[in-house]
Amino acid sequence: MSLNITSIAGKFYGYIPFGDIVLYVTEFSAISFIVAIFFTLVVYFTKPEKQLESQIGGFDTLNYVSLEELKIRRLMAILCGICTAFAMLTGDLFNYALFLALIGITNIGIVAAVKKEWVLNAAYYYGLIAMISTLPLFGGAALILAKTGTLSILELAKKPYDLLFQKILYAAGVVGETGVAPFYAAKAEMFRAPGAPYILMIHLSSLLIVIRTAEILLTI
Amino acid sequence: MELSSIKYVIDALAYSLYAFLVGGLLLGLHRKIVARIQGRPGPPVIQYILHTIKFYFKEITFPITAGNPLYLFIALMSIMVWMSALYLGVVFNTSLLILMGLYVLQKIVEHGCGLSSGSPYGKLGGVRSVFSAAAEIPLFTVIGTIYLLTKSLIIEDIIRYQEIHGPIIFQLPFAAFAFFVLLLSKAPNSPFAIVKDKSIVSGYMTEHFGLLESLIMIADGIAWFVLLWIFIAVFIGPLLVSDPLLTLVGMVVLTFLISLLCALTPLLTPNHSVMIQIIISVLALVDLLRRIIVG
Repeated sequence: MSLNITSIAGKFYGYIPFGDIVLYVTEFSAISFIVAIFFTLVVYFTKPEKQLESQIGGFDTLNYVSLEELKIRRLMAILCGICTAFAMLTGDLFNYALFLALIGITNIGIVAAVKKEWVLNAAYYYGLIAMISTLPLFGGAALILAKTGTLSILELAKKPYDLLFQKILYAAGVVGETGVAPFYAAKAEMFRAPGAPYILMIHLSSLLIVIRTAEILLTI
Repeated sequence: MELSSIKYVIDALAYSLYAFLVGGLLLGLHRKIVARIQGRPGPPVIQYILHTIKFYFKEITFPITAGNPLYLFIALMSIMVWMSALYLGVVFNTSLLILMGLYVLQKIVEHGCGLSSGSPYGKLGGVRSVFSAAAEIPLFTVIGTIYLLTKSLIIEDIIRYQEIHGPIIFQLPFAAFAFFVLLLSKAPNSPFAIVKDKSIVSGYMTEHFGLLESLIMIADGIAWFVLLWIFIAVFIGPLLVSDPLLTLVGMVVLTFLISLLCALTPLLTPNHSVMIQIIISVLALVDLLRRIIVG
């Protein structure tokens, strides 16, 4: 196995050929995969919080998440968790970008059912950034393919390629897609939406994706 | 076979207890130093451990606003995260990337604590925790810079590199500074401690009390031990990390420096805190790009 992978992500346990999609398991990806799946189960079993809202000159009110809203948000959160888990295992840059795009869509889906103007506004702005970011993300992957002839991380790790510009493009795409700094202003507003476990999945997916991206960019 | 398995479990638990006791005492020392600098006698050094034990035996109740089982699970997850970091990092010397992954899970714990309680104060603490994620960006650039130098992220390899080439702190001073700021942001009463600002009661921990607070405090004690150990192992290397006594001395010195900074600087507003962390992130990123281009 390429030294790059083992010196960055720890022990290499093997790969799973799945058609043209090759998943590989390292110490890092195994732990991240388990964390994502475990959190998905927690999200499935957790009842949403009843957010307390302070009122001026009156009693505080409890915000309940209705059953219809709960169903769609829980579904989106579970999909987000599954996408995040497999994004940890994938060994293909294009599939990784696809998982990322799907995570962006599910993130918007998690808050889209909340009938609050400021939450929907934040989701709209995040959606714009996520859509714009698909260009550098897929563009970066396409340029890597054009230059090296492969999108497989395992193959790219074998030879030293000069991919600085492509990596910067790819990283810019990930930054926008996950909504991390400097784009997290809109995303932080989304976190204020009621419904605890579902919102948490947005945060978890972003953080795991950022670390996995660091691993990929160092490996290739 | 069974007996040796039991021995491994006892050893692991004993090491966790050791990490908690050292981390707890250092956090107590931190509080004492801050108090002395501010002209107060301050609590005894063992106060953190006493608090943890006291809360451990308190009654547990669940707020009506809480989202269970996340409310309960998140406190257990806090311990799970830092015990994993203790074994994977300090005991098995695995990849720095995995440790950073576990460190960012701490953000999920903070956010989850705040969100699952349903309290507006907890929620504010959680949202501030999301904002302060800017502190993690230098971490990734630090990882990149270390990888460029040592060609490995495995802690064992990094320590071995320092045996030959000397402490990394002299070769990558800015990376060490960025990591030190991360340590500072994790310290209680630090200028970056916006998640536990007293203006929002106790931040994300407001509604986690009694046993659950005790569990989070145990995790925080272990976290302090692990983070200081990582700094010493990655930037100073075998000079201190080869001898447990010298490692402890290094931890005390680092805690003293951090306490000094915490006592002498005011708590920043969330905006200022995030802006300073972003400036450090940008500088760390420029440092990384410079090293990539220059080679």
